[in-house]
Amino acid sequence: MHVIVAVDGSRQSLAAAKQLKAFADPSKITDISVVAVTRPLAAVAFADEISGNKVRSESGEVTSFREAAESAMQKVASVYDGWGPKVHQRLRSGSPATEIIKAAKQLNAGLIVVASGGRGISDTVLMGSTAQRVQHYAPCPVLVVRPTARKPAARRSRS
Amino acid sequence: MSETTSELGSAPAERESELKRSITGRLLFFYVLGDVLGSGIYVLIGAVAGEVGGAFWAAFAVGVTVAAFTGLAYAELATKYPQAAGASLYVNKAFKKKGLTFMVTVLYLSATFAAAGSLAAGFAKYFGELWELPPTLLVMIVFILLLALINYIGITESVVVNMAMTIVEVTGLVIVLLAGAIYVGQGKADFDTLTDFSSGDNIIFAIIAGVALAFFAMTGFENAANVAEETINPQKAFPRALIGGMAAAGVIYVLVSIAAGLTVPVDTLANSDAALLEVIRAGILPISVSVMVTVFAVIAMIAITNTTLVQVVTQSRILYGMAREDVVPGVFAKVHASRRSPWVALIFSAIVVVGLLVIGSILNEAGFKVDIVERLAAVTVVLLLIVYAGVIISCLKLRGQGETEETFRAPTALLMVGLVGNLVLLYYVISTDPTSLLWCAGLVGLGMLLYVFEYFWGKKDDTNRSNAPESEV
Repeated sequence: MHVIVAVDGSRQSLAAAKQLKAFADPSKITDISVVAVTRPLAAVAFADEISGNKVRSESGEVTSFREAAESAMQKVASVYDGWGPKVHQRLRSGSPATEIIKAAKQLNAGLIVVASGGRGISDTVLMGSTAQRVQHYAPCPVLVVRPTARKPAARRSRS
Repeated sequence: MSETTSELGSAPAERESELKRSITGRLLFFYVLGDVLGSGIYVLIGAVAGEVGGAFWAAFAVGVTVAAFTGLAYAELATKYPQAAGASLYVNKAFKKKGLTFMVTVLYLSATFAAAGSLAAGFAKYFGELWELPPTLLVMIVFILLLALINYIGITESVVVNMAMTIVEVTGLVIVLLAGAIYVGQGKADFDTLTDFSSGDNIIFAIIAGVALAFFAMTGFENAANVAEETINPQKAFPRALIGGMAAAGVIYVLVSIAAGLTVPVDTLANSDAALLEVIRAGILPISVSVMVTVFAVIAMIAITNTTLVQVVTQSRILYGMAREDVVPGVFAKVHASRRSPWVALIFSAIVVVGLLVIGSILNEAGFKVDIVERLAAVTVVLLLIVYAGVIISCLKLRGQGETEETFRAPTALLMVGLVGNLVLLYYVISTDPTSLLWCAGLVGLGMLLYVFEYFWGKKDDTNRSNAPESEV
């Protein structure tokens, strides 16, 4: 089975990646594609909050949104180090939900893992979140990892 | 296990085939056209006509040309460094001086604040034509707040919405052109107006005055650099789309100003709050005037909204980038957990723009008679001219570095003309309108204030950030 793990650079998406590892059987999974989507027309095309990479590289150059997305994918991919399945990193650009679904179709995915950061009403009332849209139009089952009540979700999924 | 690591090790090669970019040359063309078209023509055409007289189309032609030469520098730099978007990073590449880079960033940020303010005031004028009841200041503030909200939700990211808005903008201008064509067809047009420089005693000065304002009409094109990284085949597509978009906008501007100049007396245009509406009011089109006025006002408002939206997106993007580089307080890098929008930067930008509008209104109340649209447009132009000059100089200085076979190379002579044009305009605007410098200084001072704030109290943000990854593991 090919599993898609969506990364938006948030802690929640890292927690989602760990959640998959917490319960899934690695022998049943052949491939994991870590997918990040940059949004070229957005104010912030990609915000990486998980890799801890500094914004500036050695040369003093500011890293681009593409590089931010790549380091976030790297961080999430490293979750599956030594777990078994082949890990791929796929960077796309456009609207996140659309691109995740497209990737799922192209790769013939058996599962999509997404994080839902939504807690407030803003996500339900306005437009709907990426996670919601993926659920509605995905060609396969979707694992939506919700934030836990108070403590960071990552704490539980580590066990 | 070894399989996984080897897979990760070879990841770059594999990822290469998976670099999906989403912006085609055609989309970029429409993006540039949509950015550019909304701003000047709807808002400023009356003011330009007032400065120049009947021949104000010439001011648009010159303004667009100077801006397009700057566009060439952007096209060259964007194809050279697609990942480093924007004026400040080009200047950083060229001079590697932190202070200079910071100044350019602040100047550009200030320009987008002033532009958003000017556009909001222009929006309010068209709104006032439809519904006079709400006070202008309220309309402007609600407009800016709504745009911040729209940006937060992320509608601006939709390629379809962008395309639709651009089509609406073009439609509005086509209506004006049609009216002009019908008028000419009826044989009523007096072509002498097109060579009339009534207002100025000196033709050159009259044109320069108009050009300085018309220049505002081209603002927005530089935002295309932001998406260079996501453009498919950027070396070819980017220069074509950018220069093509600007040229198309320029042709439309000149034609529209000719149409407006022929159909409506220059005095009427100059004294009108919403000048292009006067063309509709002239009743040339065989459709009810009141219906057309409503339709056209709505089109104008959509056009202005589109351009302002891009400015608002740019503001929060710049603030986010500066916060990530630790030159302004780190809160500006805060991204909403699920929306992935920099909400602090958005709120701050909205407050600054509203502040500009409130100050303008207070000055008006106090009897200073400030036309907010023109004042802030002039401020934008001053700031942008400095930034554009910096970009052209950077482009020339970076010659011979990082070039490949495919890099687009702008003709040096045209860049020189562009640079001289920018500096002449800058000199003219500052010498005729020194008060605009006060506004510039105020905006730049605000940027400095953020820097000072980060410099003295910024430590806390740093420790927060380095702690953050640990807290979630």
